[in-house]
Amino acid sequence: MKLGKKELLILYTNMLRARKADERIVKALQEGKVVAFYHSGQGSEAVGVGACSFLRNDDFLYPHHRGHGLAYILSKGVLMKEHMAEHFGRATGATGGISGFHGADPAHGVFGSGGTIGSQFPVSAGWGLAAKKNGRGQIALCAFGDGSSNRGTLHEAMNLSAVWKLPIVWLCENNLYAQWMPIKDAYPREDIADLAHGYNMPGVVVDGQDVVAVHEAVTAAVERARKGEGPSLIECKTYRYRPHSEGSADIAHTDPRPKEELEAWKKRDPIKLFQERLLSEGILTQADVDRIEKGTQAEVDEAEKFALESPRPDPSIISKLLYQVKEG
Amino acid sequence: MSRQLPLVLAINEAFSEEMTRNDKIFIIGEDVQSGVFGASRGLVQKFGKDRVMDTPLAETVIAGAAIGASMAGYHPVADFMFADFMWCAADEIFLKAAKWHFIHGGKVDLPVVLFANVGGGARLGPEHSQCPESIVMHTPGLKLVFPSCSADAKGLLKTALRDPNPVVYFYHKRMLGLMGEVPDGEYTIPFGKADIKKEGKDVTVVAIGMMVQYALSVAKELEGKISVEVVDPRTLEPLDIETIVNSVKKTGRVVIADEDTKRCGVTAEIGMQIMENAFDSLDAPIQRVAAANYPLAGGYMEQFVLPSANDIKAAIEAVAKK
Repeated sequence: MKLGKKELLILYTNMLRARKADERIVKALQEGKVVAFYHSGQGSEAVGVGACSFLRNDDFLYPHHRGHGLAYILSKGVLMKEHMAEHFGRATGATGGISGFHGADPAHGVFGSGGTIGSQFPVSAGWGLAAKKNGRGQIALCAFGDGSSNRGTLHEAMNLSAVWKLPIVWLCENNLYAQWMPIKDAYPREDIADLAHGYNMPGVVVDGQDVVAVHEAVTAAVERARKGEGPSLIECKTYRYRPHSEGSADIAHTDPRPKEELEAWKKRDPIKLFQERLLSEGILTQADVDRIEKGTQAEVDEAEKFALESPRPDPSIISKLLYQVKEG
Repeated sequence: MSRQLPLVLAINEAFSEEMTRNDKIFIIGEDVQSGVFGASRGLVQKFGKDRVMDTPLAETVIAGAAIGASMAGYHPVADFMFADFMWCAADEIFLKAAKWHFIHGGKVDLPVVLFANVGGGARLGPEHSQCPESIVMHTPGLKLVFPSCSADAKGLLKTALRDPNPVVYFYHKRMLGLMGEVPDGEYTIPFGKADIKKEGKDVTVVAIGMMVQYALSVAKELEGKISVEVVDPRTLEPLDIETIVNSVKKTGRVVIADEDTKRCGVTAEIGMQIMENAFDSLDAPIQRVAAANYPLAGGYMEQFVLPSANDIKAAIEAVAKK
């Protein structure tokens, strides 16, 4: 798909929405409004936004855990206010306030997310299998990090997806750290994409700070999957600005993460890079930038207000949610 | 009208009938097309390879694929062959299947059957012989079926294949060829409804799976001396505690028999529920018969860890005397 002005603006806006919502949740957590913990995704927005902004509604998505999926799910059509309300523990949240941060929105292809890193692979294989059985050209996109790539679940799921030619895009956000573990001490090669060769599927490395590059790589993999040609692995080189989780130490093993490393990555901030490009190519004017900034700010303000004004769930929901009671 | 069928063929019939009724049902696992224990034998010829799917040796993704597809409108059966192998997919079973309907606010359904062969007595060693029903019963969000005869095996599996929730279905490897009456025609057996397999007035034996058969043979042996009532819960979640309690209120004496480990086992849970609901009716302390608190031994040592029919008999005689 060739990106016109309209599509480029969608990518830009979605990155800004993900960034600003993330910043607001961090602030809210510091103010004591967030009920659980938070794993910020600031710095890596281009990956989820580039991957998901033009997926079909009925494509399956397992979002990355950074930002608790923000860049992915907002791009796929999930409402920011529901994501925010869930983090505030409210009845209007994405799961009615029962999970605290695991979202689900089946109407937009988001069927849930878990807490164990690496568990996205087997379940996504199931969505890919369902997509193939349905025969409607759906795909499943499964996001994971460099940390998840160390899990054995990756092997079982990627192997099955390749043998059965399941329509799956395996999308890696390599941000160099698994909590406090540097990838260089957890994986013996430079590129996680190299794993693809073992499964006889395409494996590509992409600049994860370039939203258009991510979009193009994912689009190629999606088209391949829709045609029934099977899965692909895409590795996006990216970074996270903030610690693994809010309030935890920002370290590599036991030492602070190098400041120079962070500064170097911030110079390649995905939103800044894209804004500069769009301005220099005349696709955006400064007035457009200001307008989008204002609109996004308003969406975030409204989402937080909606969350704060929403009630906590009634404890009676607990006994009603264990089982589905209707006939299957 | 009814026929005599071995338990495994009763299971096979249930699969065949339900797969005909609902084209969203498929079986996924290792060598399910040939059917290691015979449960799925012949189904691939009838329903094709898209509905009876042989996978690589990979329990984690067998479970994950089944669970994922269940969320997306299918009703898969993940066949783990031996229940011991299920724990390779512990995350998928305990954290995903069990929790995801609940923690996602009821927005997703997981109609999936987690199907596995259980039990000792075949001297297959510590990792092919477990009866791990207590671990499943412990976990909120999983239903648990463990039939003791052919008719129940069929009727309960048909119900499992119509339930919109994850159901763990265990069947015992020493009961595969056990003959039993199976009604002709369409029938299902509801979950959470215990069956009194034999009426009696002196001692209640609550028995699970293979232990039901042991209890019935012991009851026969004791006929004329002690009148034994055998209660088979059939599903441990949901558990029909009412039928158990009513029986205990009648007899005042109870033995609970299960092949899983005694410590924190099914016998402990049911025993405590009897204490909570029928303490005043008890004329003797509850007796439990279960596997000893060791890993299941292999070879000729197996029998010294597993519960036996003689253990049930001794327990019945002990409670009857008090």
